[in-house]
Amino acid sequence: MVTLDDILSEVQKPARYCGGEMNSVVKDKDRVEVRYAFCFPDLYEVGMSHLGMKLLYGLFNSLDGVWCERVFEPDLDMEQKMLAHQIPLFGLESRDPIKTFDMIGFTLQYELCYTSVLHMLSLAGLPVLAADRDESMPLVMAGGPCTCNPEPLADFIDLFFIGEGEEVDVELIELYREHKRRGYCKKEFLRQAARIEGVYVPSLYHPSYHDDGTLRALTPQDGAPARIRKRIIQDLDRVYYPDKFVVPFIDVIHDRAVCEIFRGCIRGCRFCQAGFICRPVREKSVDTICRQSRLLCEQTGYEEVSLLSLSTSDYTHIEPLLAKMLEWAEPQHTNIGVPSLRIDGFSEELANRLNVLRRNGLTFAPEAGTQRLRDAINKNLTEEEILRTVNKAFKGGWNAVKLYFMMGLPTETDEDVLGIAALGQKIVDAYYANPDRPKGKPVSISISTACLVPKPFTPFQWEPQDTREQLLRKQSLLRGAITTRKISLSCHEPSTSFLEAVFARGDRRLGAAILEAWRRGYHLEAWSEHYDADGWLDVFRTCGIDPAFYANRRRPYDEVLPWDHLDYGVRKDFLIAEDERAHRSETTPNCRQKCAGCGAACFKGGLCVAERQSDLC
Amino acid sequence: MLNVRVIFAKTGTVRYISHLDLSRTMARALRRTDLPVWYTEGFNRHPYVTFAAPLSLGYEGLHEAMDFRLEQDDYPLEQVCPKLNAVLPDGLRALSAAPAVAKPGDVAFAVYRLYLSCPDELVEQLLTQPQITAEKRTKSGAMKTIDIKPYVQQMRRGDGCWEVTLPISSENSLNPSLLLQALRRLQPDEPLTARVVRQQILDKEGRPFR
Repeated sequence: MVTLDDILSEVQKPARYCGGEMNSVVKDKDRVEVRYAFCFPDLYEVGMSHLGMKLLYGLFNSLDGVWCERVFEPDLDMEQKMLAHQIPLFGLESRDPIKTFDMIGFTLQYELCYTSVLHMLSLAGLPVLAADRDESMPLVMAGGPCTCNPEPLADFIDLFFIGEGEEVDVELIELYREHKRRGYCKKEFLRQAARIEGVYVPSLYHPSYHDDGTLRALTPQDGAPARIRKRIIQDLDRVYYPDKFVVPFIDVIHDRAVCEIFRGCIRGCRFCQAGFICRPVREKSVDTICRQSRLLCEQTGYEEVSLLSLSTSDYTHIEPLLAKMLEWAEPQHTNIGVPSLRIDGFSEELANRLNVLRRNGLTFAPEAGTQRLRDAINKNLTEEEILRTVNKAFKGGWNAVKLYFMMGLPTETDEDVLGIAALGQKIVDAYYANPDRPKGKPVSISISTACLVPKPFTPFQWEPQDTREQLLRKQSLLRGAITTRKISLSCHEPSTSFLEAVFARGDRRLGAAILEAWRRGYHLEAWSEHYDADGWLDVFRTCGIDPAFYANRRRPYDEVLPWDHLDYGVRKDFLIAEDERAHRSETTPNCRQKCAGCGAACFKGGLCVAERQSDLC
Repeated sequence: MLNVRVIFAKTGTVRYISHLDLSRTMARALRRTDLPVWYTEGFNRHPYVTFAAPLSLGYEGLHEAMDFRLEQDDYPLEQVCPKLNAVLPDGLRALSAAPAVAKPGDVAFAVYRLYLSCPDELVEQLLTQPQITAEKRTKSGAMKTIDIKPYVQQMRRGDGCWEVTLPISSENSLNPSLLLQALRRLQPDEPLTARVVRQQILDKEGRPFR
C-alpha cells in the first residue's frame, strides 16, 4: 500500500502537507472529546498567512478535550496522488482523515473559494450537500467575512457563524460536546444551535420568490429567530489572543508575527464592506499590543511583527505605540510592519526608524481619479495630501509611486476615469518640478485598477456592477489617456470581479451553479490559471441562471435582499441615506468627528460608547 | 566574535523541508533562544547561519554541520545544545557544539545509507552492467551524461540497506539520486522507493567533519 510518506517525496513543496511545524499542537487522542478540522479553502501558503485561523486555532486548542487541526486545499499534484492512492483529506497534525472528526469549520475569505469548499469536502470523502450528511459525519460550519451573505452556500453548510468568532465558536463547541455526551442528533443539535446569538442554520429558513425572480421572504421554521445578529467582542484587551503562532517551514505569503490593533474602521468608505460589517471601532490598548507583539516574537523567533487593522493611521495612539514598541524591537533586531501608514503629518524620526518608505514603498489608494468621485465614495484622501507626501519622499531620494484605483464606481463618468491619468501626470510633474529629486533617475508611477464588486451591507448593495464591456471600455479610455512611459498601468480583468459580484449578492438558487461547477472539477479559482470565465457562463446557462440578475441589476431599495435576515447593526435606512449621499457626491464625517447614526451603537461598545460619554461632558 | 559549529541531526518529517527552509528555521530557532547571537550588520539584520554541506529535500541526515556566530568570545559552548534543543521542532536535534575550526569547504565526502524497496539482486544486477550512466544537471542547467559505475561499485551491503560513500566537494559531487535513477532504469515498471540517510560527512582525509 502506498502511504502518505511515499507520496510526499514526489510532490512539490511536501512541507505543505507534513505538519510538525514549531508550535503546532498535538494532543493525546484518547483524552480528546471534540476533534475540529479548521479548513482553509486555498493552498497552505495562503491559509497560513491568515490571522483569523491562527487566532481560532490557538483558542480552540486552549480548551480542554478539544483538538483543532489545520487543513488546507492540496495543490493539483498532491490532489492527484491522494485520489490515485485513496488517501482522504487529513488534518496536518494527526494525519487522520477529517471525515472521522466531529466538526469541520471553513473560513470564507473570498467568493472565489466556494468551489474549493465543495472540493475539499469531496476529497475528505463526504457528501457535499448538507442534507446528505447524517450523524455519522462531521458537522460542517463556516465563518469569515463572506458569511454576511451565506445564501449561495446554504445547501452545503450546516451552520454559519455571523460576526466575530471568539465567543460564539466556543459556545457552539461546548453545546456540541454536551450533545455528544448524551447522544448527538444532528437535527436536534442544529435546532438548539440556532438559538445561540450569531449562529445561522440555513436549513431552518425557507425561501420563497416573486414571479420576477426576486426574493419574497426567507421564512424561519422550528423556532429559529427571524433575525440573526452578528457577534462582536467588546473588549479587545481581555479577549483571547494567541501567544504563539505555528511557524511554517516553507515561505508563506505573510510569514511574520501579527498583532491586531483595533477592529472596525472610522472611515466609512462606501464601497468597503469591512468598514460597515466590523463596526463599531474598538481599540486594543498600547500596553496590550506591546505585550502581545513581544510575546509572539519571542515564541516564534519571527524577525518582524506587523500591526493589523483596517487603517493603521487611525489608531488613536499610533505614535506613542510605535515609539514604545521600538524600545524592545530595535535591540532584538525585530522589524515593525506598519501597513497603509499615512506618513503625511507623521513624525519623520519615527518613520525613519521604522523604515516605512523602504519597507512599504510609496503607496496610495485614492480609489477614484477626481475629488468629486472620491467624495461620492467617501474616500477622504485629497490630491494635496498625495502631492505633499510624494514631494517629501522625492526629496528623500524616492522615485517610485504606486497608486490603486477602482473602476465601475457608482456615478463614475469618463471624466473621473480620465482623472486617474491626470493624477498620475500631476505626480510626474511634481517630480520634475522638485529641485531636491534624486538626480539622474526617471520617476516611475504604477497605476493599478480593480473593478468594483458591490457588496452586502454597504451603501452600494443596491448598485449594479458595470458590465464587462463597460469596464473594458473605461480601461481602454484610461490606457489611451496615459501619454507618458513613466506611468505604467495594469487593469484587473473584469470577469473574476463579475463572478464575485454574482456570489457576493446571490441567493440560494446559486447553489445549483456552485454544485455544477464543482462537478466540472472547478476549484482553486482564486488562482487565475485555474479560473475559467467562459466555463462559468456555461455553468450558469446549464443551470438556467442569469448571472446579470445578481451582478448588473439595480435593485430597488424596497426589494427583499437575501441577507436581510442578518443583522450587522448597521441599519438599512442609514445605508440608503449613504447611497443617496453618494449620488449627490456628499461626504459623511468619520465616526470620530461625528456619529452618523449608522445603528452600530446597538452593540453598546467601542467608539459608539466613548462618543456618548464625551457628549455628556 | 566566536564562530560556532553545531553538529545536528535532521530526521523524520523535517526531511521534507528544503535547504532554504532549514536555514530560515534555524535562524528563527536561534532567535528563540537567549544565546548572544551575532547579527549581520546590513539593512536586514539577521543571524549569520551557514551549512557546510546542504542536504537534498527528502533525505535525512545524522551528522550535519551548521555554523553561526556568537558575540561573546568566551561563551560556554556546552550551553548551546540544550538551549537550541529546547526550541527546535521535532526531528531537528543539536548533537554537539564546538568552535568552528575546519573550513566548510573542507567537506569532501558523505556516507549515505539507502533503504531500497527493491531486492538486493537489482543492485547486483546493476553492478554487472558494463557501463552505468546517469543524467546530471550541470551548474549551467544543461544535462550531462556521466559514468557512475565507479560510484556504484562502492555500494556495500549494510543492515537492511546499502551503504555508499560519495564525493560532495565543490569540484566533484554526486547525489545518490543518480544511483536510484540507474536502478529505476533497470525496472521501469516497478516503482522504486528509497529512504536516504546521510550518515556522516567527511573531510578529504576521510575523517568525520567537525
